[in-house]
Amino acid sequence: MTKTELRAPERTAGRIGDRALRVEDEPLLTGKGEYVGDLRRPDLKHIAILRSPVAHARIRGIDVANALLLPGVVAVFTGPELADAARPFSHCLPMIPTLQQITWHALALDRVRYVGEPVAAVVADSRYIAEDALELIEVDYDELPVVVDVESALAENAPKLYDDWPSNDLLFIPFATPNLDEVFASADNVLRERISHHRITGVPMEGHGALGEYDPATGRLVVHASSQQPHGLRTVLSEVTGIPENKVRVVTPDTGGGFGNKAHFMREEALVALVAMRVPFPVVWSADRVENLTASIHSREQLHDVEVAYRDDGRVLAIRVRIMADVGNPEVYILGCAPAIVTTGLLAGAYDIANYGYELHCIVTNKCPMGGYRGYGQPQANFTIERSMDLIAEQLGLDPVEVRRRNLIPDEPRPFVSATGSNYDFGSIHDQLDESVQLIDYEQFRSEQRRALTEGRYLGIGFAALVEPTAPNNHALAGRFGCFEMAHMIVQPDGHVNVQVGTKSQGQGHSTVFAQVAADALTIPINHIDVRDGDTETLPYGLGTWGSRSAVMGGAAVAIAAGTIRDKMIKIAAAMLGAKPDAVALVDGAFLAGEARIAFGDVANTAYMHPFLLPADVDMGLATIAAYDPRNTDPFPNPENGQFDVAATYSTGVGVAQVEVDINTGETTIDQFLLIHDCGTVINPMILDGQIQGAFAQAVGATFFEEFLYNEDGQPLCSTLLDYNIPAFGNVPRVTVVHRETPSSLPGGFRGAGEGAIIVAPSALANAVHDALRPLGVPIRQTNLGANHLRELLRGAEVKVNVLAGVGDPQRKPG
Amino acid sequence: MRVSFSVNDRHTELDIEPRTLLLDVLRNELGLTGTHAGCEQGVCGACTVLIDGVTVRSCLMFGIQATGRSITTIEGIGAPGALHPLQRAFSECHALQCGFCTPGMVLTALELLHDQESPTREQIEAGMSGSLCRCTGYVTIVDAIVAAAALPKVAHEAGR
Repeated sequence: MTKTELRAPERTAGRIGDRALRVEDEPLLTGKGEYVGDLRRPDLKHIAILRSPVAHARIRGIDVANALLLPGVVAVFTGPELADAARPFSHCLPMIPTLQQITWHALALDRVRYVGEPVAAVVADSRYIAEDALELIEVDYDELPVVVDVESALAENAPKLYDDWPSNDLLFIPFATPNLDEVFASADNVLRERISHHRITGVPMEGHGALGEYDPATGRLVVHASSQQPHGLRTVLSEVTGIPENKVRVVTPDTGGGFGNKAHFMREEALVALVAMRVPFPVVWSADRVENLTASIHSREQLHDVEVAYRDDGRVLAIRVRIMADVGNPEVYILGCAPAIVTTGLLAGAYDIANYGYELHCIVTNKCPMGGYRGYGQPQANFTIERSMDLIAEQLGLDPVEVRRRNLIPDEPRPFVSATGSNYDFGSIHDQLDESVQLIDYEQFRSEQRRALTEGRYLGIGFAALVEPTAPNNHALAGRFGCFEMAHMIVQPDGHVNVQVGTKSQGQGHSTVFAQVAADALTIPINHIDVRDGDTETLPYGLGTWGSRSAVMGGAAVAIAAGTIRDKMIKIAAAMLGAKPDAVALVDGAFLAGEARIAFGDVANTAYMHPFLLPADVDMGLATIAAYDPRNTDPFPNPENGQFDVAATYSTGVGVAQVEVDINTGETTIDQFLLIHDCGTVINPMILDGQIQGAFAQAVGATFFEEFLYNEDGQPLCSTLLDYNIPAFGNVPRVTVVHRETPSSLPGGFRGAGEGAIIVAPSALANAVHDALRPLGVPIRQTNLGANHLRELLRGAEVKVNVLAGVGDPQRKPG
Repeated sequence: MRVSFSVNDRHTELDIEPRTLLLDVLRNELGLTGTHAGCEQGVCGACTVLIDGVTVRSCLMFGIQATGRSITTIEGIGAPGALHPLQRAFSECHALQCGFCTPGMVLTALELLHDQESPTREQIEAGMSGSLCRCTGYVTIVDAIVAAAALPKVAHEAGR
């Protein structure tokens, strides 16, 4: 990453490619940000939610009488009361025959299936009183047997979460390319591994929250919610409440991180809307940290039984995998299986492997719902294939880099069609691998590694390659929403510009980068452009921010809108200058025709204030709504072969980790992490590097710090940030990033950027840890590599672990 | 219960329930919503304020405990258009993304720079280690504090 130097703000430049400082920063730095919990309304009442303390039970009865007597309590609601007047949630995927079709409500009706499931809601004058009242509600639970892991959940006599299902399998999808069995039967070698991917969660610093206001006189509902998809939430709230969509407004103000956790439509958001319609006050709910950790969205947990057929020269011929995804409680929309479906499309990773089969089982357990977290199913696929590559190299005694070279997707042709039907449009991954090997000085590292070993130090290096679908189609996962985006652009009479986008930012700096995209087309300073997002009333629709789609989709929509505006202004300027439109150019905020010149703001003024100067075929004002769909994605798999191309475009990268493992403590030190990264045209390198560093930090967390645990009764063991450790200062080294810019063919040439590092880094880190421990014979087949796990693995390999080694030694590094 | 204290150099008197956390007094009674509730467990540091120049987690302290003290919140550090040099350094080094942890980071860094004039990166990491950020991956926050430490007068303005 380039060295950061203090310098004067560049707010007046700010074209595509510039390191423009963020327009978002001043309010956020001075405490003037406005998150959902910061909103104030007269007579605002507070909701606290009673959540199930048991993992699986029938609810025999709920007694709220004492809670209602507490002074300051406005109302108490239970599941059946709200359900009577509301429509249920569903996954909206009736077209998938192998998916169990379920419906659910904001509050549990008669059964709870995880610790934390919402059971009742208190509305009170303050959060304090509301929480007091929770203590006064009595629920009679009839406890049921609990399942907390997928293998137990699939056992013959396993307790079932849904009595009318044949098993706990929520979704089953098989896929195989032709002649897969024959390829395996005739292969030189077959690698067979079980690889486990542990459960983690996103932990945005601000949890979910919503504020609801209902006006019975007009029938209008306004919900402010900390959501990644305000328009989608409007659609869902309209369905649940029965209020038509033209009378539901969703506003998402500043958002304290989302990371995929807020890309779901939450029961609590519906609860707030339904309660707002039933009490004569605005109401607000803000998740506390316990709710965020135990009862929002979990991610990642999968078991992969993978088989890889390969030749003696290291060429991989085929992959077959059985994926068992632990989706926890399935009552979440968007479907909690969605990330696991994404996993299935990427098991071949960056490699040319034509023969592929999978069997996906999404299994319900008595745990928090599974759902999105940055990477969204991709880290699991990447980890399994990248681990496999290293294990194959080890089996054959080949260099892992060489095995990768023999299998990487060739540079030609483009598109390269993957086994699951993706049309890959990226540049050369071979070049990226070569560059990474050169930059880290691989040979030098290997000799250093040998030398260190003689001193009893365990150094390792790990490579991983990345192919990342970005800007995906949401149809097959949500049953609707597709792959499009909108932008509303208005040039005001004074030449200043408003832009409304549908890709709600959670801190990614969209108001800056989209201003840069618009400024590039309009040639005006970015501080003349005010980009806002997150208000359904100012834009017909938008799909929100997830799947590394905002720059690709929102950026394209903004670029198209700016182009439309520019063309119209050129026509007006031509009339004003007495020139033909094709003789007029827009340069640095002025329209030029030969020597004649007219300022951007003067043309804008004319469009509104002097309509008699407009050409006959040009209407008044300067406003447009652009709608953009790349039209290169499939909404559903091809029914004949199961193939589908999900993403608008693909990003790529190669990650290299260099680590040292202390075999006495199990601690891993990351000495260096290099990422070669290609996300097409870079809009703002500062913001891009920030996305990469942040995603890398989350990868470090996922690998070495974070692990969401339950006991056998389904009780969550991580309910504070002391038991669920996210990385802190000093845990995350600076990523060295090398950008390659292979433009996509989409408007602007952008590819998605927010997730690459969290997908590729865990694989590279695990490969490096395995490499470090190779002399000890400690194979890594799991994603959780915290010190406790490495000590366990070392002991399993009969390595003598002395955790007290070095204690009292002043040379020993702290921590 | 009647309490009085100074908030951002303004004398403040109000009636609060004894059990009300300082965090909630600031946010709900005084409208100073720049102090954020990140975990309410004393772990994340988003609710950090300065009391008599020393960092305190406002989620671990009752409002009544602040009686007679001088409280500085993020609203007392700088303003849009008039950023404190440390805040400017945060912007210039891209040391914030979602901004939710940022007020606590800024106040903690101010105390650190008051105590240590030119801290090393390691000293900054140790001094800041009680504050969590989920967006940035931390290195740009350290960059910002290093950059601010090189500027004159930052330490003077640390609220003491």
